[in-house]
Amino acid sequence: MFSSIQGRAAARSLPLRAAVVGSGAISKEHLSYLAGRSDAGEDVAERIRLVAVCDLSAAAATYGASQFGADTAYTDITAMLAQERLDVVHILTPPSTHLPLAELSLEAGAHVICEKPITGSTADLETLLAVADRCDRSIMESHNYRFNDGYLAIQDLVTSGRLGQVSDIEIRIALPITDPAGRFGDPNLPSPIHHMPAGVLHDFTTHFSYLLLGLTSDVKFHRISAAWSNHSTNPMFRFDDLDALLIGDGPEGPVHARLRFDSRSGPDTFSVTVRGTNGWAQTDFFQPFMWMVVPRPGGAQLSPIINHVANGFGLVRDGVANFGRKLLQHTPYHGLHRMLDHTYQALAAGRPLPVSRDDMLQTSRLVDRLLAEEVRL
Amino acid sequence: MRIYVTGATGFVGSAVVAEALRRRHEVVAVVRPGSRAELSQQFPDHGNRITEARIDLRSMEGLAESLDGVDSVVHLAAAKTGDFYTQFAGTVVATENLLAAMKQANVAQLVAMSTFSVYNYLAMKPGTLVDEQSPIESDPKLRDEYAQTKLLQERLYQRFESAGGGRVVILRPGMIYGPDNLWHALLGAELGPRFLRIGSKATLPLTYVENCAEAIIDAAEALADRPGELTGEIINIVDDNLPTQAQYADLVAARIEIPPTISVPWPVMNAATTLLKKVNESLAGGRAKFPGIAVPDRLHARFKPLRYTNAKAKRLLGWSPRFPLEEAIARSSGIEATHAGATGGPVSDPAGTPS
Repeated sequence: MFSSIQGRAAARSLPLRAAVVGSGAISKEHLSYLAGRSDAGEDVAERIRLVAVCDLSAAAATYGASQFGADTAYTDITAMLAQERLDVVHILTPPSTHLPLAELSLEAGAHVICEKPITGSTADLETLLAVADRCDRSIMESHNYRFNDGYLAIQDLVTSGRLGQVSDIEIRIALPITDPAGRFGDPNLPSPIHHMPAGVLHDFTTHFSYLLLGLTSDVKFHRISAAWSNHSTNPMFRFDDLDALLIGDGPEGPVHARLRFDSRSGPDTFSVTVRGTNGWAQTDFFQPFMWMVVPRPGGAQLSPIINHVANGFGLVRDGVANFGRKLLQHTPYHGLHRMLDHTYQALAAGRPLPVSRDDMLQTSRLVDRLLAEEVRL
Repeated sequence: MRIYVTGATGFVGSAVVAEALRRRHEVVAVVRPGSRAELSQQFPDHGNRITEARIDLRSMEGLAESLDGVDSVVHLAAAKTGDFYTQFAGTVVATENLLAAMKQANVAQLVAMSTFSVYNYLAMKPGTLVDEQSPIESDPKLRDEYAQTKLLQERLYQRFESAGGGRVVILRPGMIYGPDNLWHALLGAELGPRFLRIGSKATLPLTYVENCAEAIIDAAEALADRPGELTGEIINIVDDNLPTQAQYADLVAARIEIPPTISVPWPVMNAATTLLKKVNESLAGGRAKFPGIAVPDRLHARFKPLRYTNAKAKRLLGWSPRFPLEEAIARSSGIEATHAGATGGPVSDPAGTPS
């Protein structure tokens, strides 16, 4: 965690009454957790009651409610908030609707868990946080990949000092977002995400930012350059490619970071590589593995060989594990389920939430800085 | 009659538009905004009787207005690929929007395209006669996204009608074959560079695309002429003299190049997938996800030996499949990416997928 200053929410009586707004693909993950069908949380049914699913489409709301055991389906959030005494509202609608829907939910007395990007700018986020303060409620943006196994393992390597002083970080995503058969490239009904300042890449830039900040909490990035491109020339896209370089100073020396989004190379990738003075480590969220080059007990002579052998066995183990994950549908969204479980545990106990308001503000500010005209290449 | 056809540029849709024009109806053809299809060029002799509506049914924008003056809707559009939520939006939400717009525009007549996929094949004994009374899938989660969303779509039709929204007749075609869809999913599945043929003796519930298009327009006309008789009916559409898998495959293989195949008898596949399901249930609580042909519920829907009837379609619609199997295969394989459409020739659509 890169900070934990999130305001405490008063402990709530159990079960917490939850509702989901928006029935797109990500709702399956939120609803699976709330219905106690994910690997995270053993006693969800005792701690959480899924009260309602709300969507503009009655068919979608009804389907979500019936499949995941919610009591009621709504097509009007105002009616839902008026009729249900909700403790938590999950907002999973297009980003441009987050601000008004979150305001309504907070004012109705509910805490809010919102999909990323929570807003299109830091100014809007500050507005939302002020509403939360006024209503004495918490609001939290989903930083789901921070809770994935591979990322937590890398974070452990960094905090334990096993990699030495961190000097270089690369986070890379490769996804064919311009594919006309995909949800971002569909020319018939363009995704609302195209209206965000970075277009479709706004979604991914939020991931980049919180993942980088989670590994560099004490680094100040003072030099940033960002090449935003639309290599496809598809006019629907603002950008389909980002190559950003950030250079900062940490307590132990300079840190370089590269954030790379690429819509042309394959296969689908979401990798994090961290290099330090003692070694380096890499993981991938889509095809999870861990590659780790660190000092081994055999000393400088034998460490390279031991690293190769250990990583070879590790890759075989990860390959077998990934086959099992595929069969049992243990998806990259396990981090989202874990994040939700931490959030509900915190709400029930009145503890700080796992994504603090500082986490959200720093993430949003970094996205704004990457988009600023003066840093563009 | 002014007929509003959704999915008008699709495999079935283009044949339906051609058939409607051949019978001198006016057509409002719904074409998605991103489509490059130009229907007026596709049907140059019928330019004054065909209108394009550039609409995406997942949005209500412009939908009710496009239904202005329409007598009957033929709803063919559906999403057949993508994950569940993509198909839900393209099939269920699209239908929900269409029905709301019909109500708004006071259009009361609907010929709704469903599918044989909605039946519960696992519950049927081999050799059972599949008709409109056959059981509907009771556990959709065990089926593919297409079957799941088509089942939800049928429920919307039935609610629309029972709420007094309009007069609906639901057509459930079997596998629709034709140009670019001769070698299809009821014969087997791709296995790398080869094709795994599953079974050989099962009767195929086929309907040739032009025969099916005639049934659809027959339904639109019959619903207008005899609403009391047709409203609320569900009608299966399959052709006469249905072939077995082996008979059909031989006919097709004589006309087009087919991939190299490996054959597996139906009883072997059935036993193997049944065993796999039991292992999954006992060791993984049924959570393990396998490819479609390794799931008994999906396997039975495609390859189980059953019998089929089109008696109700003949009785209620007066429909008789015009093109017999061999002629239909000849028409399908003799043309490439041309559209004789309204002139009575065969149709082609590279995007065609089985119903």
